[in-house]
Amino acid sequence: MINLIMAAPDPIVLETDDRTPESALDSDEVRLTFEVHNLSIWYGDKRAIDSVTLNVPSNAVTSIIGPSGCGKSTFLRSLNRMHELVPGTRVDGSVLLLGENLYAPDVDPAIVRRRVGMVFQKSNPFPTMTIGENVTIGLKLNGVRDRKFLNERLEKSLRMAALWDEVKDDLHKAGTSLSGGQQQRLCIARALAVEPEVILMDEPCSALDPIATAKIEELIHELKKNYTIVIVTHNMQQAGRVSDYTAFFYLGRLIEFGPTSKIFSNPSDKQTEDYITGRFG
Amino acid sequence: MVTPKHILGNFDEALSSLRNNVLMMAGLAERTLDRAIRGLLQRDDNLCVTAIADDEEIDQLEKQIDKDGVDVLLRFQPVASDLRRVVAAMKLSPNVERIADQATNIARRARKLNKHAPLPEVDLIVPIQAHAMSMFKDSIDAFTREDVELGRAVVARDKDLDLMNKKAGRLLTDRMAEDPKQLRGYLNLIFISRCLERVGDHATNIAEDAVYAAAAEDIRHQTATVAT
Amino acid sequence: MHSKDKDRHRWRKFKSGLVSFGTLAAAVLVIAPLGLVFFHLLVNGAGAVNWDFFTQLPKPVGAPGGGMVNAIVGSLELLALGSAVGIPIGVLGGVYLAEYGSARGNAMLRFIADVLNGVPSITWGVVVYGLVVLRFKGFSAYAGGLALGLIMIPLILRTTEEVILLVPNGYREASLALGIARWKTIVNVVMKTASKGIITGILLALARIGGETAPLLFTAFGNRFWNHDLSQPIAALPLQIFTYAISPYDDWHRQAWAGALVLVMGIFCINVLVRILTRDRAGTST
Repeated sequence: MINLIMAAPDPIVLETDDRTPESALDSDEVRLTFEVHNLSIWYGDKRAIDSVTLNVPSNAVTSIIGPSGCGKSTFLRSLNRMHELVPGTRVDGSVLLLGENLYAPDVDPAIVRRRVGMVFQKSNPFPTMTIGENVTIGLKLNGVRDRKFLNERLEKSLRMAALWDEVKDDLHKAGTSLSGGQQQRLCIARALAVEPEVILMDEPCSALDPIATAKIEELIHELKKNYTIVIVTHNMQQAGRVSDYTAFFYLGRLIEFGPTSKIFSNPSDKQTEDYITGRFG
Repeated sequence: MVTPKHILGNFDEALSSLRNNVLMMAGLAERTLDRAIRGLLQRDDNLCVTAIADDEEIDQLEKQIDKDGVDVLLRFQPVASDLRRVVAAMKLSPNVERIADQATNIARRARKLNKHAPLPEVDLIVPIQAHAMSMFKDSIDAFTREDVELGRAVVARDKDLDLMNKKAGRLLTDRMAEDPKQLRGYLNLIFISRCLERVGDHATNIAEDAVYAAAAEDIRHQTATVAT
Repeated sequence: MHSKDKDRHRWRKFKSGLVSFGTLAAAVLVIAPLGLVFFHLLVNGAGAVNWDFFTQLPKPVGAPGGGMVNAIVGSLELLALGSAVGIPIGVLGGVYLAEYGSARGNAMLRFIADVLNGVPSITWGVVVYGLVVLRFKGFSAYAGGLALGLIMIPLILRTTEEVILLVPNGYREASLALGIARWKTIVNVVMKTASKGIITGILLALARIGGETAPLLFTAFGNRFWNHDLSQPIAALPLQIFTYAISPYDDWHRQAWAGALVLVMGIFCINVLVRILTRDRAGTST
C-alpha cells in the first residue's frame, strides 16, 4: 500500500511501505545532506538497525524519536561512524553525505567526524582545559597553529553557540566551572569550531533544566540556517518544537518519517500514533 | 478495532470526561430544538418556555468544555488523534451552543405566532426542521463514532437545506404580498426557516470538525469534496 | 518493659562495645609501629644528621664525622636510571592495557603484572646479576637501575591502567567526534585528564624502590667513594645503611641510624606529595 501525503507549504511526496518502511523525500524538492540507503548495523550478532532508508534534508532539523533501545542512538552515530567505537560492529548498506559514501573503503572516519560534528547527552568539556582551549582543541590537534586564526574561530564559535557574551571575560577559567547549560553550549561551540557541515545531537537537553533547554532549542533554531541538524530526543514536545522532520524508530526499524507537523497531528502508522500519544505497551 | 489505553490513566479519564460533556451538550441542544419545534407545531407555549430556559445549561456546558479542553492541553500536551479530538471538541461546542441559540430564537418566534390564529403555512417548516434535525444528529454521530463518511455526507446535505429554505422563503414572501394582514406571522415563519437553515450550517461545521478529528483532514471550504 | 528484654538489651550493648573496642585496638596496632619506627629513628639518628652528613664522604673507621653524600647522590642516580626504564614502559603498558589490546590478552597481561608485583625484590637482583653483571663482568649503576626499573614496571603499569580506565568515556567520544586521531585523543585528552593519577602512581613506585636494598646487593653493589661512571659500582643509601648496620662499629651504627632517618623522611615526603596530588584531583573532579 502506498500513501501519498502532502506537506505544507510546498508539497513533499513521501512514500511509506507497510512492510519495509522506505521513506524518501523527493530530491527534486529538497536538498539532501544524508541519503541513507538500506542501512543495517550489527553489534556482534545483534542487529541494532534493520534496513533503514531515510533522507535527511539540508538546513533543517530532523529529530529521531522512539522508545529506549529502538536503535535511534545507533542510527545517529552511524551518520559519523561513531558507533564503530564499540568493537564488533558491522555495517551493511550505504550512507551518502552530500553524495559521498561514508562507508567507502578508503574513507577515514576521522575526516567523516570533522565534517559531521556531534554533541552528547552529558555535557563533557575537557576537565583539564580552559573554556578557550576547549573550543580550539579540535583545530589545534588537527594541526592549526595560527594564533590569530584560532582566536577568531574561538570568538566566532562561541558567538554562534550564544555563549560569547557570558564567557568572554572568563576564557581562561576551567570549562567545568560553567553551569550545566553553559557547558552544553560550550560543547556545541567546540563542535562548531572545526566547521562541520552537520551537527548530530544525542539527547542534548536531557540533563538540563527548562530554561537551559529553551536556550539550546533556540540555538538549534539559529544553527539550522547554516547547518543540517539531526537530534535524538526522548522528549516528544521537544521534537515537536525544534524539528522540521521527524523519524520514528522502533525495534531497529524506521517506522515512519515525515514532516514533524504531520507526524504529530496525523501519523500514518498505528505504532507511531500509539507511541506519541503515550499508548505504548 | 480497540484503541489501547494511555499509560496515563488520568489522561484517558480527562479525555472521556471532555467527550461526555460534548455528548451531553449535544443531547440537550437536540432536546431544546425538538421542544421549540413542537412548541411551534403543537402551539404549546410551555414547550417554548422550557426550550428557552434550557439554553442556560447549554451555555454553562460550553464554558465547561472550553475549560476542560484547555486543562487537557495544559496537563497532557496531547498529540496526534488525542490532540485532534480535543481541538475538535473545543471547536464544535460553540456550534452546538449556536444551535441551541437558534432553538431559543425559534421558541420565541413560536410564542409570538401562538398568540394569533394558526397559519396553515406552518406545514412548510416541517420538512425543513426534519432535514436540519437529521443533519445535526448525524454530525454528532459522525463525531462520536469517528465516522468520516457520515461526516462528509452531512456536509453534502447542507445544499438541500439551503434550497428548501430559499423555496419556503419565496413562497412565504408571495403569501405576504397576497395577505398583508398576516405579514407579521409570515415574517416569523421566514425567520424560523432561516434559523433552521443556520442549524444546518452549524451541523456542517460540526461534521467538518468530526472529519478532522477522525482523519486529520480539513474538508472546509472545498469547491468539491473528493471521496478517496 | 520485661526484664528479659532488658537483659537482652544489655547483652547486645555489651557485644557492640566489645566489637568497637576490638576494632579500636586493631587500629592502634596499625599506627603504633609507624610511631615506634619514627620515634626510634629520631632518638638514634637525629644526633648524626647534620650538614656534614649531606656533604661529606664516609670517613674510615675510627675517624670522627663524615657523611653519606655519595650514597644520597648514588640513590638519586639509581632512581633516575630506574625511572628511565620503569616509567616509559610502565606508563605505555598501562595505556595499552586500558585503551588497546584484546580482552583476553589484557587479562593475561594483568595477571602477569600482578604476579610480578608479588615477586620478592631480591629475585630481581639475582635476575639482573645473571643477565647483566655476569655478562658484562662487573657490578654497575646500570645494573642497579635496571633492577629497580624492573620492579617499577608492574607497579606503574597497574596504577596507570586503573587511572586511565577512570577517565569517563565521554571525553574520548567528544575528542574522537571532533575528528581527532585516536593516538592524539589518548595523549592529549585521556592521559592529560589522568595525568595526576599517573604521576601519583609513579611517585608511589619511586617511594617503593627508594628503600629497596636487596636488588642492589648483586647489582649496584655499593661504593665507599664518589663514582661518576655509571658502568661502575655505585653507592646507595639503603646499601650503605645495610653495610654500616651489620658492622661492629658504634660510629657506623650511628651513621646507619642517620641514613635510615633520612631515607624514611624522603619516602615520607614523597607520600605527602602523593597525598597533596590526590586531594587536589578529588577537589577538581567534584
